[in-house]
Amino acid sequence: MALLKATYVSAAVLVASAACLQAQAARAAESQVKAVFLFNFAQFVGWPPAAFPDSGAPLVIGILGDDPVEGFLDQTVRGEQVRGRAFQVQRYHSVDEIKTCHVLFISRPSAARLDDVLASVRSKPILTVSDDDRFAERGGMVRFVTDHNRIRLQINLDAAQAASLTISSKLLRVAEIVTPPGR
Amino acid sequence: MPLRDWPIRRKLTVMLVLISGLVLFLTSAALVGYQYWSFRQTMRNTLAVRGRILATNSTASLAFANEADARELLSALRADPHIAAAALYDQNGRLFAAYPADLPRAALPAAPQPDGYRFERGRLIGFQPVAETGSQRLGTLFLASDLEAVYTTFRLSGVIALGVMAVSLLAAYLLSTALQDTIAQPILMLGETARAVSDRRDYAVRAPKLGEDELGVLTDAFNHMLGRIEEQDRALRESKEGLERRVADRTHELEERNESLRRNTAELLAANTELDAFAYSVSHDLRAPLRSIDGFSQVLLEDYAAQLDQAGRDSLQRVRAASQRMGMLIDDLLKLARITRAEMRTEVVDLSGLARDIAADLQRSSPARAVEFAIAQGLEARGDPRLLRVALENLLRNSWKYTAKQAQPRIEFGSIAANGERAFLVRDNGAGFDMQYADKLFGVFQRLHSAAEFEGTGVGLATVRRIITRHGGRIWAEGVVDRGATFYFTL
Repeated sequence: MALLKATYVSAAVLVASAACLQAQAARAAESQVKAVFLFNFAQFVGWPPAAFPDSGAPLVIGILGDDPVEGFLDQTVRGEQVRGRAFQVQRYHSVDEIKTCHVLFISRPSAARLDDVLASVRSKPILTVSDDDRFAERGGMVRFVTDHNRIRLQINLDAAQAASLTISSKLLRVAEIVTPPGR
Repeated sequence: MPLRDWPIRRKLTVMLVLISGLVLFLTSAALVGYQYWSFRQTMRNTLAVRGRILATNSTASLAFANEADARELLSALRADPHIAAAALYDQNGRLFAAYPADLPRAALPAAPQPDGYRFERGRLIGFQPVAETGSQRLGTLFLASDLEAVYTTFRLSGVIALGVMAVSLLAAYLLSTALQDTIAQPILMLGETARAVSDRRDYAVRAPKLGEDELGVLTDAFNHMLGRIEEQDRALRESKEGLERRVADRTHELEERNESLRRNTAELLAANTELDAFAYSVSHDLRAPLRSIDGFSQVLLEDYAAQLDQAGRDSLQRVRAASQRMGMLIDDLLKLARITRAEMRTEVVDLSGLARDIAADLQRSSPARAVEFAIAQGLEARGDPRLLRVALENLLRNSWKYTAKQAQPRIEFGSIAANGERAFLVRDNGAGFDMQYADKLFGVFQRLHSAAEFEGTGVGLATVRRIITRHGGRIWAEGVVDRGATFYFTL
């Protein structure tokens, strides 16, 4: 009997921790997907040659502010290459730290300073990505839209073209193209 | 009917149709097979191209996990009714999107299989990697196409091949029927000629020649052979007729000769019988007067001896001696005649025994003479015992008589082998005879010695010859004057 009782207790503990784990797992899965998307942009976006110091230079993915994708991005790009270039992940605390960068993820806590950030990178060939609700309207290029546990893309094609970036039509097919009003 | 008994026309037709049929079949099979294979290749290549295009287009859908877009891309496959199923798998091998949308999950592979296009379980399936050029793989595209298109093409080419074969075979049959005559006609004509020759024995027919090929040569040879046979047949017939004529002539000749021989024999037989009868009756009738002569001469000698002088008595004695001698002659003649007329009985006769009996009789009749007899043992022959005894007695008595003047007389009875048959012999070392008279020995009343030298009537050897002749045997003699004589006879 004692054994049976112990089994019940451990089962109850297990159920409680499973519910907690599920929430964690959902958040982790979302971060992972975002990390993969950031990595995948490199395959569908073309940068002007001037964006790289030399032909062997790595493709830099930068994260400004908190790192919402945690360590997943490092895992995802490890050992990968696109068009002969390796990947490099950099984390920035302020926009001034950004030197050579190709994909810049602007984390939500830094959204307050978003206009400044976007203004400082506007002339550079940097693909700006964020999950800010009005990112595209404010001049950002790609927005992650979380919808029913799914992440969709909104792309401001004008902004990208203005930064001399070419976006593959295939990427455009799977994204929603938004045009900010008044521009 | 077994194949080898078929008429040559049918054989030729069947042969030609079979050969062309086989050639057609092999050609058609090769063509259809090649078409089947190449169509499959084409189909695989087409599907591979389609797969590559689709995979290239679906990179973004997979990269950014847009299922709706992926489904839309896949739904473009509706244009090809042969595409049975299609699916996209993500990087981790999980099913991402499927076509048609309502396809049950079980109809798709649970996970991607090795890349490539292959025919499997009546379908063409392909796994195509999905990736941007120079980048990591994003997932896998799966395509499955049914083979209806292949089968349709295959069926169509099969039907066409069958149609071509049917038409070609018909053409081959018609052509072979028309062409076979060039081979079959001369052979059939040869056959017909040969049959005419063997049925009617008409060697004058000739097979018509239709060309200068091997059959033409054969026809020539056959006709030449017929010519030779015709000549030989004529020669044979002529010689046969000649032979028949000669045989008929000979037969006729022989018949005539036979006829004349038969006539002669009959005449001879009649004459002989007549002669025998005559001799018998004469001899018989002569005895009575002879007995009277002898009887009355005796009466004269006994009753009138006193009235007669010595000369008269001597004359009468001579009359008596002559008449007695004549009586003996008559007796011998009668004996000879009886032998000719006597009935024959045939049995095994012990000739050695007979000879011994006769020798003993002779010794008893003249005990004063010392004659050495050498009689072989165990000689036997088939014949009439009474007649053979007469013959043997005559021969031995003959030898006995002619050895009378010999100092050491010797008489032998034996046998020798002569010309493959057995001949008996009686040999003595007596007076012998001159061989130039040998053929007169066996004649009646023929004598080589005078009665004064050796007594005798001249009938004995004639009797012997008649007995031997009646037994179907022969008799002959050899002799040298004063050195003895040998008589041989066969039975």
